[in-house]
Amino acid sequence: MSRIGVFICHCGSNIGATVDVPKVVEAARTLPHVVYADDNKYTCSDPGQQSIRDAIEEHDLDRIVIASCSPRMHELTFRKMLHQTRINPYLLEIANIREQCSWVHKDIEAGTAKAIDLVRMAAAKIDRDTPLYTTTIPVNKRALVIGGGIAGMQAALDIADAGYPVTLVEKEPSLGGKMVMLDKTFPTMDCSACICTPKMAEVGTHPRIEVRTCAEVEKVAGYVGNFEVTIREAPKHVDYELCTGCGLCESKCPTKITSEFDQGLGKRKAIYKPFAQAVPSKPTIDAAHCRKINEGKCGVCEKLCPTGAIRFDDEEKRSTETYGAIIVAIGYQLIDWADLYGEYGGRVASPNVITGLQFERLVNASGPTEGHIQRPSDGTEPKSVVIVKCVGSRDPHKGKAYCSRACCMYGAKHAHQYLDKVPDGRCYVFYMDVRTPGKGYDEFYMNTQRDGAVYLRGRVSKIYEQGGKLVCLGEDTLAGATVQVEADLVVLETAMVPADDADRLGSMLGVTRDKDLWLSEAHPKLRPVETNSGGVYLAGTCQGPKDIPDTVAQASAAAMKVCILFSKDELESNAMIAGSDVGLCNGCGACVAICPYQAVTLEEVTRRENSVMVTRTVSNVNPGLCQGCGACTVACKPGAMDLKGFSDEQIMREVEALCL
Amino acid sequence: MSLSTAEALTDALREEARRLLAEGTVAVVVGWEAGRFPNQTTPAFISDPEQAQRLVYGDYCVNTLAKYALGEKAAGKVAVCVRGCDSRGINRMIADNQLLRDEVYLLGLPCSGMKDPATGSLLMKCRTCTEHDAVTYDVLLGPATAAGHDGASADSSAGDSEHVSDEQRFTAVLGIEEMAPEKRRALFDAAFNKCIRCYACRKSCPCCTCRECFVDQLRAGWQGKQNNLAENRFYNITRVFHIGDRCIECGECERACPMGLPLMALNRKMVKDLKSLFNADDAGMTEENSAALGRYDLGDLEEFM
Repeated sequence: MSRIGVFICHCGSNIGATVDVPKVVEAARTLPHVVYADDNKYTCSDPGQQSIRDAIEEHDLDRIVIASCSPRMHELTFRKMLHQTRINPYLLEIANIREQCSWVHKDIEAGTAKAIDLVRMAAAKIDRDTPLYTTTIPVNKRALVIGGGIAGMQAALDIADAGYPVTLVEKEPSLGGKMVMLDKTFPTMDCSACICTPKMAEVGTHPRIEVRTCAEVEKVAGYVGNFEVTIREAPKHVDYELCTGCGLCESKCPTKITSEFDQGLGKRKAIYKPFAQAVPSKPTIDAAHCRKINEGKCGVCEKLCPTGAIRFDDEEKRSTETYGAIIVAIGYQLIDWADLYGEYGGRVASPNVITGLQFERLVNASGPTEGHIQRPSDGTEPKSVVIVKCVGSRDPHKGKAYCSRACCMYGAKHAHQYLDKVPDGRCYVFYMDVRTPGKGYDEFYMNTQRDGAVYLRGRVSKIYEQGGKLVCLGEDTLAGATVQVEADLVVLETAMVPADDADRLGSMLGVTRDKDLWLSEAHPKLRPVETNSGGVYLAGTCQGPKDIPDTVAQASAAAMKVCILFSKDELESNAMIAGSDVGLCNGCGACVAICPYQAVTLEEVTRRENSVMVTRTVSNVNPGLCQGCGACTVACKPGAMDLKGFSDEQIMREVEALCL
Repeated sequence: MSLSTAEALTDALREEARRLLAEGTVAVVVGWEAGRFPNQTTPAFISDPEQAQRLVYGDYCVNTLAKYALGEKAAGKVAVCVRGCDSRGINRMIADNQLLRDEVYLLGLPCSGMKDPATGSLLMKCRTCTEHDAVTYDVLLGPATAAGHDGASADSSAGDSEHVSDEQRFTAVLGIEEMAPEKRRALFDAAFNKCIRCYACRKSCPCCTCRECFVDQLRAGWQGKQNNLAENRFYNITRVFHIGDRCIECGECERACPMGLPLMALNRKMVKDLKSLFNADDAGMTEENSAALGRYDLGDLEEFM
């Protein structure tokens, strides 16, 4: 016979205002096996916890129900408290009478009745609880960082500087990500490449960082401390052991292709480094465009290479390695505005309608125009520029509902840069609001206005070509008038959206995505870099739009979490995992097929059944791999698989307590 | 099938059974033998080669035999007479890890649909059958029925049941789907009210291979012992959910039901929905388990996340 104690929390007025707590206490005292019930102003506080410990001693309780906030909030707190008593920490049930009751109801009477129901259910469930125990699992102290932009590089450097080996996987041929494409960074206007490329070089030469470019994560198995990761490296067709990076091959390659790095505004070769300061500073062959690979002719690079490093027959490589923690830093991409904004010209827009990132390349001294601002159509200097903000952002009907956060500032930066380089030019900025929270941000915006940028509050409704000019129709909502501006160049400050890989990686790593497919953190305030998947952390814009300072701060935070994990030699495993009842299991294997963590296997057992020794196939759960998701328990038709702490029997008693 | 075809097949079956038992290839042959009443047959379990002549095959072999293989396999290798339904049942049990292919020897028999001994008309389960002939076998004892219930010729007048369209297969389901919810509820309430929970449906089903059925798990207490509408409804609906994505549509549950419950309409509703939602394959056509609800795939819809 169990001896249950029930503790009901007022949570100040959070619960107390909507639930008649003394009445719930009174009701709890009448429940089967409940030998003690009391209330508390703040159960999670020190005196609150002490009163529970005292009651356990005084009334010889062997399990407790705490009716308070969500288990996500304080279940761990109370489990830690039970560690100091003689009760097993898993002989604890939380009845959530705050988030699921007092916070969502106004009526005291109905709220109280519901709170009593919730307590009755928890008491019925805990009567069938059994003690659970954890085991320890080893931690493999190597980190994997996915994405070699500023977030990934910062995280990798921090972890490596703390003394742990890191593998950095980047899908492009060079580190750097989006930051290295930028010309200047707001609000200080320091050169982006000047602060980014030293980081790239540091990562490239760090003794504890292994950089893998042209590489992608193909498969992830295992669990926190012990991830088995398969990395696929696309063929580079250049032997990096031999290549000295002299660049002769690139200068003589006859094939010219549009440069991805220059956002389509410049050209590159088929054997190329994306940009001068690339890390690794060695070229790769773009197999899709190489004449030798596609047509069998050419091979100039091979003939010229002084070290014989060219490998036309290079093949894809796969390797599987073990890591203890994973940081996802796959960044963002810009929204494909052409499909969404036909009124700006859509797919057949003028070449003089460009994105902010294209403008960055246009204004960059090492860009395709060597930093001269020129119209892509004819190379002339634009005398009038229109900047359109919120293209795809804050536009739930066409684009995304969210604010992309960085565009107000880089819009102001673009206006400032244009007016700096073309002093007699005119610059108009169409905006909805100007959002400049950040150190030195608003001062920067004010300076841009003083430079002469004309800010017009309203959206642009149409952009069309007329007489070599781009006519922008819009509204000035402050003046209450429609406006028409003729421009030589239009810059669209487009929304940030998740990288193509976000969804695939998210489902592979068990990281949830929000409605816009950004990867979700475990808690929006208190666990901003953790995910719901143990040992997987987020850094930078893969979690949501942000600027460079925020990205770097988050990357260092994620690195810190990894270092905390690595500071221990062993981890405690989850006690609430699945287990199979051999007697009921008929070995159908449904659990094996449905397990997302490959934690269930079939094995042969020989046992005595009905006085006969029989050998049968049954399922077996690996306690290290099992995450306690419960998928197998519902797939198990014989009812052999149960989740410890949430057994079928417990749930049935809970349902009966509510319904019968 | 014609009388001569039936006699020829019976002779071939007896000879093969006698040979397999005499040579010791199998320990037991599962087939049919004549019953006490005209046209009636009953499952037969032959382990003595001398008894092989008891076996019969014809238009009235109504029992689907697959499930019997489980009970017999302890004695050694089991030879089972298989038509479409029997063979899919065997595949089902192999896919569910209940049986190894090596544990059975399959005697393939052509089938043109079985008849009700009482009325002489084609059985309901055979009218909506999509696979009359065995989908897997070790030996084929007669030519496949290219067409028709009369089996002999492939002329155009016969052959309807060889190619049962989805529309024919789901006629009952479509009819029920069209009903107003109240009418539909009344229909099933009337049916479940008749259920005596004899569990003949469970016993005959090749998908029902749990060691202890949920209805008997008293500690968890899924199913009450009362015989009333609520408990009957719970049993019948849970049964469908347990077998839904694995049902081979042999129709044996409905045939075995002494109270005439429309069990296949329930099963086929699941089959139809799984087909349209997940493009699910027909179950039991191979030894592979393709149960739509029993797999985890990175590409699965996660609309709720």
